[in-house]
Amino acid sequence: MPLTSSLTEISLNHYLILSAALFCIGMFGVIMRKNAIVILMSIELMLNGVNVSFVAFSRYQNTMDGYVIVFFVMAIAAAEAAVGLALAVAIFKRFREINISSFEHLKG
Amino acid sequence: MRMDAMEAAINALKLVVIFGMMIQAVPLLVWLERRGSAFIQHRFGPNRVGPLGLLQLLADAVKFINKEEFVPGKGHRLLFFLAPILAMMPGALAVLAIPFSTPIEIAAFDFAGSTWGPYLLKVQGADIPLGIIYIFGVSSLATYPLLLAGWGSSNKFSLMGALRASAQMISYELAMGLAVVGVMIIYGTFYLNEMIDMQQGPMNFMFMGKEVIFPYLPNWGIFYQPLGFLLFLVCSYAEANRLPFDLPEAEGELVAGYHTEYGGFKMLMFFIGEYGHMIVSSSVVIIFYFGGYLIPFLSTEDLRQLLTGFVGEGAMLSLATSLVYLLSFIIKLVIFLWVFIWVRWSLPRFRYDQLMDLGWKTMLPWGLLNTFVTMLLVYLAHG
Amino acid sequence: MTSTVLFYLLQFLILASALGVVLIPNPIYCALMLAVSMIGISALFFSLEAYFVAGVQLIVYAGAVMVLFVMVIMLFNLKNEVVAFSKGLLSKVLKVSLSVLIFALIASSLSMSFADLNSSQLQPYESAMRSVKELSALLFTKYIFAFEAISILLILVVVGAVSLARAKGGTHASDK
Repeated sequence: MPLTSSLTEISLNHYLILSAALFCIGMFGVIMRKNAIVILMSIELMLNGVNVSFVAFSRYQNTMDGYVIVFFVMAIAAAEAAVGLALAVAIFKRFREINISSFEHLKG
Repeated sequence: MRMDAMEAAINALKLVVIFGMMIQAVPLLVWLERRGSAFIQHRFGPNRVGPLGLLQLLADAVKFINKEEFVPGKGHRLLFFLAPILAMMPGALAVLAIPFSTPIEIAAFDFAGSTWGPYLLKVQGADIPLGIIYIFGVSSLATYPLLLAGWGSSNKFSLMGALRASAQMISYELAMGLAVVGVMIIYGTFYLNEMIDMQQGPMNFMFMGKEVIFPYLPNWGIFYQPLGFLLFLVCSYAEANRLPFDLPEAEGELVAGYHTEYGGFKMLMFFIGEYGHMIVSSSVVIIFYFGGYLIPFLSTEDLRQLLTGFVGEGAMLSLATSLVYLLSFIIKLVIFLWVFIWVRWSLPRFRYDQLMDLGWKTMLPWGLLNTFVTMLLVYLAHG
Repeated sequence: MTSTVLFYLLQFLILASALGVVLIPNPIYCALMLAVSMIGISALFFSLEAYFVAGVQLIVYAGAVMVLFVMVIMLFNLKNEVVAFSKGLLSKVLKVSLSVLIFALIASSLSMSFADLNSSQLQPYESAMRSVKELSALLFTKYIFAFEAISILLILVVVGAVSLARAKGGTHASDK
């Protein structure tokens, strides 16, 4: 069954600029917010922006490699979320808040 | 493949009809559940309003609409109202991808001064590529309404119920995914239609280069994946938050869970979501393991020949075939929904730690074993 | 025509919810906004005919990772934050302008580099199933080392997360 192409009028640049915008919004969140969990979420946003560009490149160049990379990015994002949230839980237990400045008290 | 105006209109109508079918099935299921539970517990059940108590549904609807609109004072209003609306969405979206019957072929015809067609109308909301992945993706979103309801109510029992429910759903999704992997290895496709087509005829398969045929068994998935079927069924009960896994809403023991603060129409919407989940998982079980809309021991050619005697050739034949298959699908669906109800009133509830142990220490290892054995057997069969 | 409208609608949805993630002070709404954005990105993948990736995006991101975030936030019972953003007018201005600058840099360099890759070169896939098979073949041949490395990483992460979040003396002990 041949698939009907639904993206006849949109060029690759549209997707790439969307991806760049997502990345920069995520970066803005990382440098702007004080809550550790929101910072983690902003990092997820950045990773998603990168995923969009991988999928778009892969589609427009008719290869499958980009999709494989997207899977790796997703696995790493899930791992990062798990560890980050575990750290947030540990910080919350100690300081009763998850402000990023609580991490200043960590000394080796 | 461009759609013309009529085909687009028919497709839009189809979406509405399928959504309506799902919504309309809910009151009937509620009635079936109440009468069924009464039958199992040797009671009468609702039998006063109308024939067999069927008008009780109407009375219930009037009662739900007239109930007081209650919002907890300290609750998050937006989330409180959003949760029941979102609760209906996963079921309604997932039903779209389920093929209920064979497509209806309509030859080209003249209407209103121009020629239309030929059309091939699928008895399915939309033939979504990789349908099974879509169904799982959409139903994995079912966790949000529970969490939002628990949080929006600003009630610690609701919140605890919501956390219990979502932890349960995430845990069982894993074992469910593993059961589905076995099915995918057997059929080698993600398309629900192709899966159904492969279950035609008597049971036959290649093994070690020889063809094996069991003429007295239909070629259904359950004979290839018995363990996978068991895992999938148990997981679908847990995903739908039904007994014996209904800890999220164990009324007497744990306070009613995430919908403690809900009443009236909003409660009804949660019910629609739950029954929608039941309908979707029963349909998926039928498609994976029980031949979808196919009738055992009666191939499509035989059925078409049988029906030619009644309706002749052409569009009427494909319409009649489609209707017969639709009836077959609905009969199977009702049987599985009845099993859902039957189990609810027969088995006692699990304790929460038992439930988690079952999910992680029993279902997951068995699911892995099922995957490995299936892989090995398929390799041997093709090798 | 419809596909263009659909694309801009999706783009608007994704960007608006992404902005919601970084600008709303209440973390619970941030998490929900991020979930909406993930679902939008999944729909975008769907429109790019990457059906399998779209489904995995829904299942892994929207269905698992974001639920984890929402659950943790609810567990902590985080309220509206008084100091959601970092302080100082000068640093705020600097950070906003830095983000905008980087976006402008990336966007302009992109539009110069890949202007020749437009939709005329786009070939429709033969079938969605075929592309999934190609994808899995690639995953288990060319990228097998990365695949194994990821699996080891995941095991390490599971052990690490459990040991980090565990309360002393078993799961039901208090943390005092």
